Amino acid sequence: MEQNDLYNLRQIVNERGVLISFAGPFSHGIIEEIGQAITRYLESETLTKAYLMDVFSVYIEQAQNVCKYADKMMKEGNTDCDFNHGIVTIGKNDGHHVVCAGNFLRKSDVPPLTAKLDALRNLDGEELKALYKQQLRKERKPGEGGGLGLIDMSRKSALPLEYKVRSINKSYSFFSLCATL
Amino acid sequence: MENLTLQETRSTPAIHFDATNGILEISGESYPENSYEFYKPILSWIARFTAHYKGPIVLNCTIHYLNTGSTKSMMDVFDLLEDHYQQGGDISVQWHCDRDNDRAVETAEEFMEDVTFTFTIKHLADM
Repeated sequence: MEQNDLYNLRQIVNERGVLISFAGPFSHGIIEEIGQAITRYLESETLTKAYLMDVFSVYIEQAQNVCKYADKMMKEGNTDCDFNHGIVTIGKNDGHHVVCAGNFLRKSDVPPLTAKLDALRNLDGEELKALYKQQLRKERKPGEGGGLGLIDMSRKSALPLEYKVRSINKSYSFFSLCATL
Repeated sequence: MENLTLQETRSTPAIHFDATNGILEISGESYPENSYEFYKPILSWIARFTAHYKGPIVLNCTIHYLNTGSTKSMMDVFDLLEDHYQQGGDISVQWHCDRDNDRAVETAEEFMEDVTFTFTIKHLADM
């Protein structure tokens, strides 16, 4: 049976250069476990400590974002469990590590997010640092992460963050975000 | 006033705040599920402690990794200490990190830029 043969799925994952991936319901415990797996994997390569830390921290920000969207979906009373699931992949492309995350979100959440990402791609290192420091000083609401994640990922990436939005139905889209280090 | 002690977990640092001698220690990794909630009791302890304690306060931080939510909370910690310093309090922070990790050093330097009390970056290998 096709669905019992994981070889095809494995081929797709390999062709895309994915080294580690997780798709399903995220939890904090899963984020910690995968984080350890990534650290162990990267330690076997000859990378600087700073680069290794950057890959780890971009992974944490990506995975915690996926969790945050999943929580939001649950709070909105979304019962379709698939919408509460996300995917995170860590791979290698042309010598760069690439950390990607995908999750469902409300269509109304898409424009503010893409506007933010479009603005970030035009900023240089100094401008990103200034924006980061400005955001660091902003008051935050209880339970919120602080709005630094995307700026921080941009600072650590070698290229601007890339995103893709795919419409799923009239209310929801699937959002993919990739950081190349 | 009571001491504040929290055990280290994989994603949260150990906290040992000694109310009798003013030595506050934070060590470990910091990427909690909810950084706002994790740091809330820590910030509230520091606010209550600095309100009455007259002696020197030393904060020792050995945090290998902070996610962005924790970075924001750590800035809140430093802002509280800065307020106390501005009102004549004796504050010093020792930030311990790995000299071979440029990113860890940069994180420490960016905190140092935003405070006026004594903030020393110590390299772990030198200890």
